[in-house]
Amino acid sequence: MDDDVLYSERFVITGDDFEHGGDAAARVKAIMKEFGLDPAVIRRLSIANFEAEMNVIMYAQSAELVFSVTRQGVAVVVADRGPGIPDIGAAMQEGFSTATAEMRARGFGAGMGLPNIKRSTDWFEVESTPGVGTTLRYGVRLGTPPAAGASRV
Amino acid sequence: MDTPAHSIVRDDSRCTGCVACCKACPTRAIRVRDGRQVVDAAVCIDCGECIRACPHDAVTARMSSPSDLGRFRHTVAIPSTALYSQFGRGVHPEQVAGALLQTGFSAFDDVSWMCQMVGSAVDTYLSECKGPWPKISATCPAVIRLILQRYPDLIPHVVPIETPRELTAKLARRKAAETMGLPPSEIGVFYISPCSAIMQSIANPIGLHESNFDGAFSVAGLYASLLKAIRAGCPPASDESFNHSGLRWGLTGGESAAMRNANSLAVSGVGEVLRVFDSIEAGKFQMLDFIEAHICPDGCIGGQMLVEGRHLARHALREILAHVTEKSAGGQVRWVQEEKVRSMFRDRFFDMAAEIKARPLKREASDLQHAILLHQEKTRVLARLPGRDCAACGAPGCETFASDVVTDRADLGDCVCVKLDQLTSSLKENGK
Repeated sequence: MDDDVLYSERFVITGDDFEHGGDAAARVKAIMKEFGLDPAVIRRLSIANFEAEMNVIMYAQSAELVFSVTRQGVAVVVADRGPGIPDIGAAMQEGFSTATAEMRARGFGAGMGLPNIKRSTDWFEVESTPGVGTTLRYGVRLGTPPAAGASRV
Repeated sequence: MDTPAHSIVRDDSRCTGCVACCKACPTRAIRVRDGRQVVDAAVCIDCGECIRACPHDAVTARMSSPSDLGRFRHTVAIPSTALYSQFGRGVHPEQVAGALLQTGFSAFDDVSWMCQMVGSAVDTYLSECKGPWPKISATCPAVIRLILQRYPDLIPHVVPIETPRELTAKLARRKAAETMGLPPSEIGVFYISPCSAIMQSIANPIGLHESNFDGAFSVAGLYASLLKAIRAGCPPASDESFNHSGLRWGLTGGESAAMRNANSLAVSGVGEVLRVFDSIEAGKFQMLDFIEAHICPDGCIGGQMLVEGRHLARHALREILAHVTEKSAGGQVRWVQEEKVRSMFRDRFFDMAAEIKARPLKREASDLQHAILLHQEKTRVLARLPGRDCAACGAPGCETFASDVVTDRADLGDCVCVKLDQLTSSLKENGK
């Protein structure tokens, strides 16, 4: 998805900043609405963005979320500085979570984060170095039929 | 797309061109041009926030006129439950019903029993439907129009059950036709409305092809004659009975309180509704089953076309509820028969007759590339603006103004701060 980028914008996400949790996802969503993208595309990418953003807030120190639009699709890269994911295979299992009791009390940590991103997008890659950080790359193609929505948490 | 006629009207002689309405409008439909309010009819959802905000009484809602009653041989008044709370403590629904019969209506019908029936039907619906969650109440028509325009993703969340007022009107006409032996067209059914939004939903309904009402009067419009009748001691409609939990529907939380499903949330006031809908769109409220949302603060009791402020109205309502409980046999609150409601639900009595469809706004951009270009231009214009959202330009804030500039609906020089900068720099140049 390196083809001609029509638009690109970056957002900074700060770890532990629950107060602004979801702000970056909301801003990306507002931009996509302004661009007049298909509501299904907007909904699917927004679900993924929200999950990715909350992952950073819960586990990492900080991250940069880069949103770009090409003729083919909307793409996001979230690169964080943080503990990394020691076992990506386990993190991709639904229900797997290392969330603390406090996070769970806030309604997170159901172990749906990464699987939910994968389910609501057309492509998804995760790369992680323990002790350094994690990079997620995902996106939604324009003009594809919507996949089944994310299940209820 | 056709632009619907609106129930909100402006009195030019009163409009001073202040920006109160423009800043209050949740859909940013209003601009002030040449000292007058200008409304984009395609964007207005008739929520009535401009009526509430206008300090000069220049904005109001169109309503039926008393002469409309003369078109019918028999007329029925169906008031919003909010009407009962308008006359202070000690004035009860049966007196208000009696007063309505003194002000030109041949009959009165009450909506409170149907409120509880609809609540029970929504319970049945929630127990059988499969997402998406949470479901959203269809009671407030301004909320529904907001969804159709700004949150099309939330349309599948709307509970497709008709409102108590429309169902009451349908039955009232049927009942009057049978008992009076009149053709339905000679019976006029009128709503006594707390707001502009319901007036609009009667003229341009959503979820049904044609409203069951022939028109609507505002509470404010009838208030003086009702108050006079009550003070003159008009006979109460003492054979009427009112449903305790249905009477609470006028107040936010009343609808969900009457339901068995307790996994719900009530939100009122336009700003709060926008925030909650943004959150539902972001998938944050999926743990809830039901959202009761009202555009007016505190629900219908906060409608713009009422007279008593919503705080005193709430106070009066509490006393009315105590009175209704006391009056019903042995102080027991009477409930509708849920079995009966379930069977009516299966017979599709409560179903909305028409599908509700998105009403997206016309787009300025011709394609994705053009949309991106406009967005980038807007960002550049916005960087030149002061960001104070003073609205002196006639748009509600800098961001809206920037959009107007890039779509040729405003000129950058309309911003007083930009103009001042231009003047200052030209003065400096001349001074050299």
